[in-house]
Amino acid sequence: MKLQHVSLWLLGAVLILCLMHTRGLRRCLISTDVHHIEESFQEIKRAIQAKDTFQNVTILSTSETLQSIKPLDACCVTKNLLAFYVDRVFKDHQELNPQILRKISSIANSFLYMQKTLRRCQEQRRCHCRQEATNATRIVHDNYDQLEVRAAAVKSLGELDVFLAWIDKNHQETSAA
Amino acid sequence: MVLTEIWTSLIMWFFYALIPCLLTGGVAILPAPQNLSVRSTNMKHLLMWSPVIMPGETVYYSVEYQGEYESLYTSHIWIPSSWCSLTEGPECDVTDDITATVPYSLRVRATLGSQSSAWSTLTHPFNRNSTILTPPGMEVTKDGFHLVIELEDLGPQFEFRVAYWRREPGAKEHVKTVSSGGIPLYLVTMEPGAAYCVKAQTFVKAIGRRSAFSQAECVEVQDAQIWPFLLHLFGKITMVFGASPTCVTSGEVLPLALALFAFVGFMLIFVAVPLSVWKMGQLLRYSCCPVVVIPDTLKVTNSPQKLISCRKEEVDACAMTAVLSEELFRTWT
Repeated sequence: MKLQHVSLWLLGAVLILCLMHTRGLRRCLISTDVHHIEESFQEIKRAIQAKDTFQNVTILSTSETLQSIKPLDACCVTKNLLAFYVDRVFKDHQELNPQILRKISSIANSFLYMQKTLRRCQEQRRCHCRQEATNATRIVHDNYDQLEVRAAAVKSLGELDVFLAWIDKNHQETSAA
Repeated sequence: MVLTEIWTSLIMWFFYALIPCLLTGGVAILPAPQNLSVRSTNMKHLLMWSPVIMPGETVYYSVEYQGEYESLYTSHIWIPSSWCSLTEGPECDVTDDITATVPYSLRVRATLGSQSSAWSTLTHPFNRNSTILTPPGMEVTKDGFHLVIELEDLGPQFEFRVAYWRREPGAKEHVKTVSSGGIPLYLVTMEPGAAYCVKAQTFVKAIGRRSAFSQAECVEVQDAQIWPFLLHLFGKITMVFGASPTCVTSGEVLPLALALFAFVGFMLIFVAVPLSVWKMGQLLRYSCCPVVVIPDTLKVTNSPQKLISCRKEEVDACAMTAVLSEELFRTWT
């Protein structure tokens, strides 16, 4: 009888821990309003995508990479892809048009803020990187390296709407109130 | 002789040529604006500086900004401000430029004609999470018995939390979240004679901060006669049944349902009670003094169907009598 009680308690504790763990992952982003960034991008989307000359290729490999990411890997993949954009894409893209430059700056700085938020999650060990997540990130980097730098940067910028929609789907937070 | 003449005229031309240069050199170089600061209230950011005074001239100013991303990765790139590329006043609304919650560097320079001053940069980069959030302006009104509030419109980045309660000891505080201001919002249907108080605060999701609550404002409905209140409730109920669904907001459904139940309860009381009293009377009459009418077929008289007791000795007689009754029964059906 006592053994049954103990095992029931253990099961209950494990369930509660699992619940907290998954809940923690979902809340591991972003008090940023992703919609605001999406709006910024919508204003320059046509201009950016018009510059993309390699229509048959994709860098984010949507169907193979992003859509197949499990919720457990979402935090790590988000962190890696944010770094991909901040460290490579925005730097490699030379923008002369002041209107577009303003919007790209807004998006880049918002990404920087999201990275800071994710870093806090990482410190609390809520953003673990498994092999699947690392593989997915490597695929994106490999795709990027296969194109000429300027073309790759423009194409990656053009795929921002896909990336932002994916973040929105994976990191929806309930209203703080 | 000729050589000295040529030499003198050369020197004179040289000085003539220098005169314009000397003249322009005499005018002061345009000073850079000083005392840059940012005043930020409710996510509206205003860059201010001391004006550059040039008597008789209008000095224009240009503002540029650089987010943390630019300062880390592309430090040579400064972006011209959306609204202040050649502005007159010694201030600039940089709200549309500061679009992320990271430190931004800001710089200003003065321009007069073709001349420009040096750039003057803000000492400490500005982060919009340091904005001062004030309690929202709130207008509390009564629409009949409805408590209605209208909150200040502070823009798309602001959400509101409204708390309201009955002003009595131990009253529960209700909280409602409002996504935007500027439109009237129904809170509750007030009961006559009770006072209700409301307070509100803002929440900015982009920086994860709330303002303080505003001062509580209280309203009271007159302790009117019951009939106007009931009529009002009745009107609301008929509206629920007659009007389109969009007329009734989600916040009104519960009070209306309660009103509906109250109305039904009243009807039950005025109809069901007399009915039940009458029924009880009938029941009592029948149980105390019943009037029973026995039908003819049940009356025991000198009929062929005798009530017989069948004992073993009289089996034959029983069988005979039973057959007789069966025959009689058959003739009747």
